[in-house]
Amino acid sequence: MILLESIIDGIRDIKDHFGRTMLQLLGVILGAGSIVATFSLSTTGKEAAMKYYKVSGGIQKIFVGNKPTGKVVLSAKALASQGLTVRDALAIQRDAKLIDLVSPVSTESMTVRYRTLEKPRSVMGIAPAYSPMNDIRAAHGRFITDNDVSSAARVAVLGSERATEFFGSEDPLGKTITINGTGYEVVGVMEEKYFSFDHKRNVMRWMNKQMYIPITTFVTRKGQSLEQGKIAFMHARMKDITKDKEAVDEIKRILMREHGVEDYQVFSRVANLRRNEQQNKMYDMTFMICGLISLIVGGIVVMNIQLASFNERVREVGTRKAIGATPAQIFAQFLSESVLVSLFGGLIGLVVGQLFCSGIGMLLRAAPAMTPDTAMKALIFAAGTGLVFGMYPAIRASRLNPIEALRTE
Amino acid sequence: MSAIFKYEVEEKDNVAPMPATRPLIHLSRITKTYDSGENEVQALRGVDAGIERGEFVSIIGPSGSGKSTLMHILGCLDSPTAGEYWLDGDDVAMLSARALAKIRNQKIGFVFQTFNLLPRATIWKNVELPLLYAGLGRGERRDRAFEALKRVGLEKRAKHRPNELSGGQRQRVAIARALVNEPSLILADEPTGNLDTKTGSDIIHIFEALAANNQTIVLVTHDPAIAARTQRRITIVDGVIVEGDTIED
Repeated sequence: MILLESIIDGIRDIKDHFGRTMLQLLGVILGAGSIVATFSLSTTGKEAAMKYYKVSGGIQKIFVGNKPTGKVVLSAKALASQGLTVRDALAIQRDAKLIDLVSPVSTESMTVRYRTLEKPRSVMGIAPAYSPMNDIRAAHGRFITDNDVSSAARVAVLGSERATEFFGSEDPLGKTITINGTGYEVVGVMEEKYFSFDHKRNVMRWMNKQMYIPITTFVTRKGQSLEQGKIAFMHARMKDITKDKEAVDEIKRILMREHGVEDYQVFSRVANLRRNEQQNKMYDMTFMICGLISLIVGGIVVMNIQLASFNERVREVGTRKAIGATPAQIFAQFLSESVLVSLFGGLIGLVVGQLFCSGIGMLLRAAPAMTPDTAMKALIFAAGTGLVFGMYPAIRASRLNPIEALRTE
Repeated sequence: MSAIFKYEVEEKDNVAPMPATRPLIHLSRITKTYDSGENEVQALRGVDAGIERGEFVSIIGPSGSGKSTLMHILGCLDSPTAGEYWLDGDDVAMLSARALAKIRNQKIGFVFQTFNLLPRATIWKNVELPLLYAGLGRGERRDRAFEALKRVGLEKRAKHRPNELSGGQRQRVAIARALVNEPSLILADEPTGNLDTKTGSDIIHIFEALAANNQTIVLVTHDPAIAARTQRRITIVDGVIVEGDTIED
């Protein structure tokens, strides 16, 4: 009951001294605001990253790329090595125990023609495993199959934008499209791929602009033997994400056996994720500490103002005591006032934090959102500040001698 | 039997004999010593006094006489160094701060020279305050505060704030606040000190009316004209009562 009265008193106090209260609360507001901003950014960032990973094939994906070796004198075998080939992909497929899917990838700009429309367009040579590893599917018809690969079939699957570009409203399935002068039967059209961090730019759009043909067709059409066919990179998928390091090492071992020199590089997304998480934790901690420091500074200001207003209110405290307020009641009154004031600061801090978020969001072209969980955390921290720093003024008020308090002018 | 209660039957020859029916206020051998560094200051040097229920008494004395100290002890704001203080049947001389707060809340109503109203609260809220600390519910607090304001004729101003009232009206609010918990004793410390003669006289008139209604009132003043309007004057000089310590009828 007395608590309720104190809260009503506190609200009246905030109303009566609005300017002073705001000044007093600046630290608490900024502290709560930066906690909100930190948590919102970090959770939103993590969520977006996880979604992106999922949309682009999950965290089990391993990327194997070429790497220039520099000018080191090499062994004969090393000199003979021509970078990643289809043969490497086959070796990994055959020998790597921790890998379940492999797809070599070659890509090149080729002249693509359908009827009168002729354009230079990017064409990808891939294996069927490319589809599950990149979470892409054919919307009409089918994707490249094992049969297509083993027979080096002249078939093509179009990304959604390419289908529209070359065929308009016409059904592309079964039509023949010419790539670098050779006819390919269109056997499938991919579904449209979309992912955006900022609800504006589709970061997956490049996939809609692809055309897929079997890797075997890709290399043999270029006049290379199948085994020696050069590829740009490989995608592989590990069976067990808890054994990501072992999977990467296994690939590296096989490639070293094949190449004799480290002219390749292997990245796993799990390792990437771990590194990011470590970094995120650092950022989170830094911002958290900044937030906490401003809360502490804010708390000290709250305490100072509370002490100053306490001096103004000595007579009031004396009167309250004279008419029967116990020390505990005075303590509760002062403490609940500072908690309330800080909580009020925390509420404004939520608004400020949301403003921070939108500001940073505009820079990052992402839209961080405050979760109820984050809001609760910020409010608890703010109220805690009031509780801790309101303690001393409250104790002083409760111990005041009523006679001396009443004598104060 | 007599062996067990041995200490109770022992003669206490230096204590004033207790009246058969104890008055509302009974002070016996009250001393108060302030320990200011090297030298001790004796503010009260053995005060004996009794005040009956329904009496309107003034305490007068020059400054430094111990008048304020006596008032603080009477008002349970301070404890005597030694002696007995019985208020409405309770020995309140040596209670803790918390227990004294309770006594003040339940048995004493204060009226101060400077009114001491909470400036930000309505006068209604001001009058409710003692009931709030007594732990009463909202509805009962409001009703009783309103009744108390009626008794001083200010019920129409219940929702005003103190700074919207005149000095005399503020003191009437303070009287309503003192009355609201139906105290055994109203203690008024120079209640007319900040008021003009006419308004001060009106305030004393309210006290007279309350006293006529069997309300015990102790009024501390240095103004003989005000003291003259009370039923009995207790004069204190140098920490002892020199006049009026017993009930003259």
